[in-house]
Amino acid sequence: MNAISFSKVTRAYGDVLAVDGLDLDIPPGRTVALLGPNGAGKSTAINMLLGLLRPTSGQIKIFGETPERAIARGDVGAMLQEGTLIPELTVAETVGFVRSLYPDPLPLDEILRMAELTDLAGRRAGRLSGGQTQRVRFALAIAGAPRLLILDEPTAAMDVESRRAFWDNIRAYAAQGRTVLFATHYLEEADENSDRVVVIARGRIVADGTAAEIKAGVGGQTVSFTLGTQSVAGLDALPGVMAVEITSGRAVLRTSDPDATVDALYRKTTLDVRGLEIAGADLEDAFLALTQES
Amino acid sequence: MLKHIKIEALRMLRNKRYAVFVVAFPLGFYLLYSNLWGDQVDATTGVKASVILMVSMGAYGALASSIMSTAVPWAQERESGWLRQLQITPLPSWSFIVTKLVVSMLLTLPALVLVGLAAVLTQGVSLPPGAWAGLVVAMWLGVIPFAALGLAIGSLTRPDTAQPLAMIGMFGLALLGGLWIPLDIMPETMRSIAKVLPSNDYATIGWQIVAGETPSASAVLGILGWGVALIAFAIFAFRRATVRA
Ligand SMILES: Nc1ncnc2c1ncn2[C@@H]1O[C@H](COP(=O)(O)OP(=O)(O)OP(=O)(O)O)[C@@H](O)[C@H]1O
Ligand SMILES: [Mg+2]
Repeated sequence: MNAISFSKVTRAYGDVLAVDGLDLDIPPGRTVALLGPNGAGKSTAINMLLGLLRPTSGQIKIFGETPERAIARGDVGAMLQEGTLIPELTVAETVGFVRSLYPDPLPLDEILRMAELTDLAGRRAGRLSGGQTQRVRFALAIAGAPRLLILDEPTAAMDVESRRAFWDNIRAYAAQGRTVLFATHYLEEADENSDRVVVIARGRIVADGTAAEIKAGVGGQTVSFTLGTQSVAGLDALPGVMAVEITSGRAVLRTSDPDATVDALYRKTTLDVRGLEIAGADLEDAFLALTQES
Repeated sequence: MLKHIKIEALRMLRNKRYAVFVVAFPLGFYLLYSNLWGDQVDATTGVKASVILMVSMGAYGALASSIMSTAVPWAQERESGWLRQLQITPLPSWSFIVTKLVVSMLLTLPALVLVGLAAVLTQGVSLPPGAWAGLVVAMWLGVIPFAALGLAIGSLTRPDTAQPLAMIGMFGLALLGGLWIPLDIMPETMRSIAKVLPSNDYATIGWQIVAGETPSASAVLGILGWGVALIAFAIFAFRRATVRA
């Protein structure tokens, strides 16, 4: 049984289709990144998954149940994109209360330790910094030891160091066989912390696979050389070539098979090829290519 | 639920606004007024003003508390995302509204008890045990309509609207209901408004108890009617506020 399953899920706000026919199955035990630019529909998808928003059409299941039932059973913990705490309550009071709502929660000490809040336990929530608040919200998400952990842009308010520590903690949590789904704009974050990346743009899935597969899928590599005044004619017909760009006198060929492209460049053309470079496209290129096409 | 009640109560007790309006205000005014006029005696019932004022200020404190501890905090929780945070836990939403109501009632106790204590200690007020018991129960259960009103305000408006509405509701009900100024010296129109307000029924029950009378049917029915209507309205508003979009 899948931990998460979206089938043909659509959500409209007036005439804006925020999520457009989403089909997505996530087996248990995986850590999956939902990667997409602003307005892609990540939060809309997540809020529907959490039962906070009703899909316009389609069906969502969590461990084979409706989101409401899965939540009532205590199977789900989440960090929403936005949210503040009750300023008058301390960290320990807040976390202690939320954990008491779940049938089988983690011990309070362990939650505080995992969220690195042990030293802040007695501090009132109104006196925490943005990054500290974020850690408390993480603590609330894991407090009930949920099988499914959902995080909507969890590291938004964190500095580089907290971010690293945060992901170490998530990995430790996920290592116990739990399922994690997180939304992010950060390509590196998706690449480093997930075993599957689902790229979403304008409410649709535009790519789905490991970070490496996604790079390869959009003509992951480039072959470039100094073109000078020579003609570009025929370059786009070379084996493997998917796109040709000319920038400041250099031809940049995006290719799915750099070996074949280079081979053909030397043998099948009369071009004077100088300054040849082969580069792997980074995920950033792949991401831009995927999310910008119309 | 006990834990929920505990943290909700804690947060209000730590809130300065609550302490000022709900505890310091009624207590301070009771001490002031009873020092000025405490010894006057009501001509018809023969009850001393220090006793009537105890009921008035206790009623004001309880009424203010029940509205203050519901409307604005609840509007803020909806706005700040705390509601959503709880909606994604196993906490059922009926438990949420029941907790709010219970906490709001518990939080009226400091005002009621302190005003009562001040009356006993500074003015030497004494009542038969039966009257004390009746008074406490009536004053305590009688706040339910006001708590419901506060929950409805918090469900339907955003914090910046809920704040003035709660203030207007709280002072309006207190003033027009005859808690600050006696009904007899009100102009005729104000008095006819006062007579239909639940705050007047609420205080009237208290005044009648301290005068040794049984609460009148009109006051009891009045507050019951308001209670039923406001609870229904609060449940409707609460549902609207917590339903999925
Ligand atoms: N309440 C709403 N009313 C109208 N339109 C909305 C609402 N919420 C979201 N949208 C629109 O739906 C689309 C998807 O929004 P969503 O918040 O899901 O994006 P996102 O991927 O989470 O973006 P971000 O990375 O900025 O958080 C956007 O075009 C947004 O403007
Ligand atoms: Mg978002």
